[in-house]
Amino acid sequence: MAFAESQNPLRVHRIPQSRYIDAVRWLSPVSPSDRFAAIAYFDADTNSPSIEIAYVDPNPQSSSPTLTPQSSWTSPSRISSLKTAHSTPQPLLAAATFSGSLHILASDLINGGVMESEATVSELGFHSGPVSAVDLREGGTECVSVGEDGRVNLVCFVGDSSKLSYRRIFDANGLVGYTAVKWASPSEFATGGYGFGIQWWDQRTSGGPVLQFKGNWCQGKTSGIVHSIDIHPSRKHTCLAGGSSGTVFAWDRRAAQQPIVLSGAGTGEAPNSLLSESEVWEVQYDRYTRRSNISNISSTRILPVMICSEDGILAVIEQGEEPLELLAEPCAINSFDIDQQNPSNVICSLEWESLAILTRS
Amino acid sequence: MPGVSSDSARGALVPLSPESPGAVVYPLRHGLKSPISRLSISWSRGNSLRVSVFAAPSSDGSVNDGDGGKVVEVKLGGGDGEISEAHWRRIAYGSVSPFALLQSRKNAVSTLSKMSMNSSPYDGDWWDYIMEYSKDINALLVNQKSASVPVLDDTKSVITKGEEPTSLKAAWELLEMFYAEKPSHSWLPERLVDWLADYDSLFSGTHPTVHSKLVDFQKEFVNLQVVEDDPKYWEVMSSALAVGWLNIVVKMLRLHGSYQLDQLSNRETENGLVEAVAVLISKMPRMRLEQEAGKLGECYKAKPDFVKAWEKWRGQINKLDSSAFWFQCAHQQTREGLRSMLQIMLGNANSLCSATYNWIELYISHFLYMRPLTVGLESMYSLAQKSIQLKPMASAHRLMGLIIGILGENTEVVLAECLKGFGPWMVAHAIELLTAGSDHAEMLLHEERQNLGGISIEELHRLVYAQVLSSFPLTWQIAPIYLISCMKHGMILLQILLSKQPVQDNQLLLKSIEICRLYELHSVTSNIMKIAGVHHWKHGRKGSGVFWLQQARDEYRLNRIALQLFDSVGKTISDESFKQWEGLIQLLGSDSKTAGGLEFLHKYRDFKKSLRQIHDGKATDPARQAVESLISLMKNPSTPQRFWLPLLYDSLKLLNWKERPLLNVSQTNLLLNKLQELSMARLRPDFIESELPPQALNSVRLALGTNLGRAILEE
Repeated sequence: MAFAESQNPLRVHRIPQSRYIDAVRWLSPVSPSDRFAAIAYFDADTNSPSIEIAYVDPNPQSSSPTLTPQSSWTSPSRISSLKTAHSTPQPLLAAATFSGSLHILASDLINGGVMESEATVSELGFHSGPVSAVDLREGGTECVSVGEDGRVNLVCFVGDSSKLSYRRIFDANGLVGYTAVKWASPSEFATGGYGFGIQWWDQRTSGGPVLQFKGNWCQGKTSGIVHSIDIHPSRKHTCLAGGSSGTVFAWDRRAAQQPIVLSGAGTGEAPNSLLSESEVWEVQYDRYTRRSNISNISSTRILPVMICSEDGILAVIEQGEEPLELLAEPCAINSFDIDQQNPSNVICSLEWESLAILTRS
Repeated sequence: MPGVSSDSARGALVPLSPESPGAVVYPLRHGLKSPISRLSISWSRGNSLRVSVFAAPSSDGSVNDGDGGKVVEVKLGGGDGEISEAHWRRIAYGSVSPFALLQSRKNAVSTLSKMSMNSSPYDGDWWDYIMEYSKDINALLVNQKSASVPVLDDTKSVITKGEEPTSLKAAWELLEMFYAEKPSHSWLPERLVDWLADYDSLFSGTHPTVHSKLVDFQKEFVNLQVVEDDPKYWEVMSSALAVGWLNIVVKMLRLHGSYQLDQLSNRETENGLVEAVAVLISKMPRMRLEQEAGKLGECYKAKPDFVKAWEKWRGQINKLDSSAFWFQCAHQQTREGLRSMLQIMLGNANSLCSATYNWIELYISHFLYMRPLTVGLESMYSLAQKSIQLKPMASAHRLMGLIIGILGENTEVVLAECLKGFGPWMVAHAIELLTAGSDHAEMLLHEERQNLGGISIEELHRLVYAQVLSSFPLTWQIAPIYLISCMKHGMILLQILLSKQPVQDNQLLLKSIEICRLYELHSVTSNIMKIAGVHHWKHGRKGSGVFWLQQARDEYRLNRIALQLFDSVGKTISDESFKQWEGLIQLLGSDSKTAGGLEFLHKYRDFKKSLRQIHDGKATDPARQAVESLISLMKNPSTPQRFWLPLLYDSLKLLNWKERPLLNVSQTNLLLNKLQELSMARLRPDFIESELPPQALNSVRLALGTNLGRAILEE
């Protein structure tokens, strides 16, 4: 296994937070030098969940980054999923909760990061039980939410009505549970769930997923749950998924039912050494690359992927190469986010109530 | 109800028993207006109690605000006060790695010593390991509160505030210097001097201290025009000198009025005396390994060198003391102040006693000026006893108790003081230091004791600490590290801990399963999965339920829920709802071993699929596939009997296929036999009638008969 330190300089700063972190995301900055992060906290002492916008000063005099809280929003329940939309002038946040509600928040980064709740869906019947994942459409006004109750909802927030309207795309009545979701295009999205299954949806086609990727490809071996999905804007035919038993795989919709296993359990023909054997909580395409142009990479090849795992690994996986380990923590890394504008910056939340900020150079 | 006192309407919940005069009653505000009918008290996380208060239903049946019940969480004990809960958690997280590393090194060392038959396993690197552990833990105890910057300008500030010291860190450093540092006890007195310089302020809360006097003086200092006229100036300097804070004393001496340029000429002698004392102080010989840069005093490593320098220094003090210049010094306060400082430096017992405020300060001053060559815990202990006699105290600070325990070489007292003063975290981690170098302590703490249920003191304290960790939702995950280091009861408690974790949330569930995987607790894993499966199933998340039961390979429950699923299948597998079922069936996979009775669903789906393709009644190939599915379904023992008739009724189209008979003779016979079996079963009382038209059985029988005839003709 390759270690990042030996190849390229990497600065890591751990910042204790004294509160559990349920999710963390970068916000798209107003100016190139600014950096803001949205952090979903859970204060165990007072039992209060909240989302805070913090200004991240990458290099103050003390040479380690500092977080300056800008504004805070109290959530009615713990945050189960947090996503941000990058291309709007005022960054939008979509926060889903364990009590089954969805909140759209807007943050005004120019005026001190004030955060306001734009709209809320919390009525009974939206989801029964927790919302397991949400995704905001990039620059759009739509948000898709899924839950283990088998419901797939599309929430539109046009105008400034504080009550959101939502449309039920599908209800599997609990026969199928969904644990991850990601937009692929303005009308298509992918969901993931139990048994390493992935579903492809098109909101123009009603009555269920248009394409299903069967999860039983790792038959006989342990099956698992998809925790996170990512789709690269230039490679919409490929769904990247991470889940149980250190599994990271890609499903090329053109190649039917055979997954491309990047790491972990499965076909056993993965050339690389096992990176992690525990849950892969999040996967994202890693846009930070030294190669000049990703279009040089053949379209059948999977682009570099960053993962974080329950056993404390943050790593970059490239197909057919040794994985590059960025962090090996003694506790779980529950979520991370790569800065879209400046992909050398990564923020991740650690199980032991702290954040880590990585700067690659 | 014994728990409810008569005036429950006013909110008092505790009955007062006359036998316990010390009982304190705390009112509990539960906000219920109506009288309380029932009370339930249970442990919540940590040392919180969860008190559920149920109101009596109102007699007239009307519903009022404040009816029903309330759950109140009562926190017992205010915690440490010095260290917040969040800081405690940070310490707990941070100590996991050093503790685990030390345990693995210990194991490695002990296997190595067994192999090489080495009598002492604790050689070589051992002390480095212990020291590394101690330093790692010590680093965690740094207070995160930002230090307050002194308001005074630098020339006038005598005390600079660094980080806010904590008793916990002070206690750890005591343990570190006595147990972890490679035993070189000749440096211990000087280490204690440094320790007191860092932590004297901790005693200020309960006792007068040199530090508090200095802080008080500094407040007045700003307003003083002529410092040397103030008797406090001299008092405070003597005190600081007595406990060896040389830099502060010299700095204060140089604030003496005689240094001012306009006064230098007419106070020349006086200034000379002040400077002479200041120089003597800064030249004080110290027997220590090293001196921090900028600290005054001259340091000697070897005893003979030190003794020579010490004698010379005292000679100089004596010479100054008996010098004639004192008569030429006109300023009385300066004269007396400086000479009393000389007495302290000469080790005058009375001067030391009056300059210090508690026994530890007196003790330290004895090390500095009377017995700098004290070596060995025994003599240090007797000196401490003497100091306590000279400066007895009504109440002892928790650090003082610890010091006495350490000096008295009484491991049990040290442990008890650690537990009483600093809690279970301290004991669990301090034991590593206590056992590091002492065979006696190791025997004492590792001996299995009948009165503790066959476990050692070490294991007991680890278990207690693990129990504390387990009771908080954020720290339970690190309890396993401590539990597995407990040989006797650790594993079973770990299994109980894991089995008790909530299963509702997938992320938490998976974290528990990950811990099971690390410690190879496969039976616990499958139990947790079963619980999770049933939980999800009961809450309508059938897919999640089936997944977890499949993962647990729980055939029994899968078969049971299969029966329930079939009920809904019979009703809902229509063409519209097929998409919903599709996902579940896919999840089941074709691997019948993990699917239990649900294998049937899989085949049923295939059958339905092919049936749907032949709705026009012409496509022969899909029809043949449908027949194959039907036969395999009917042959399969996992197909429930109650589905036989609906299946056959669905296949009427196939049985009456126009072109030619699709079923051969033996296939038709098989189905006829099944039909016969079904007719017999209908006579039994527990038979469940399917919701089909009453003539269904007859029309199937007729179709089968016809088909049999056609098939025979064809063959």
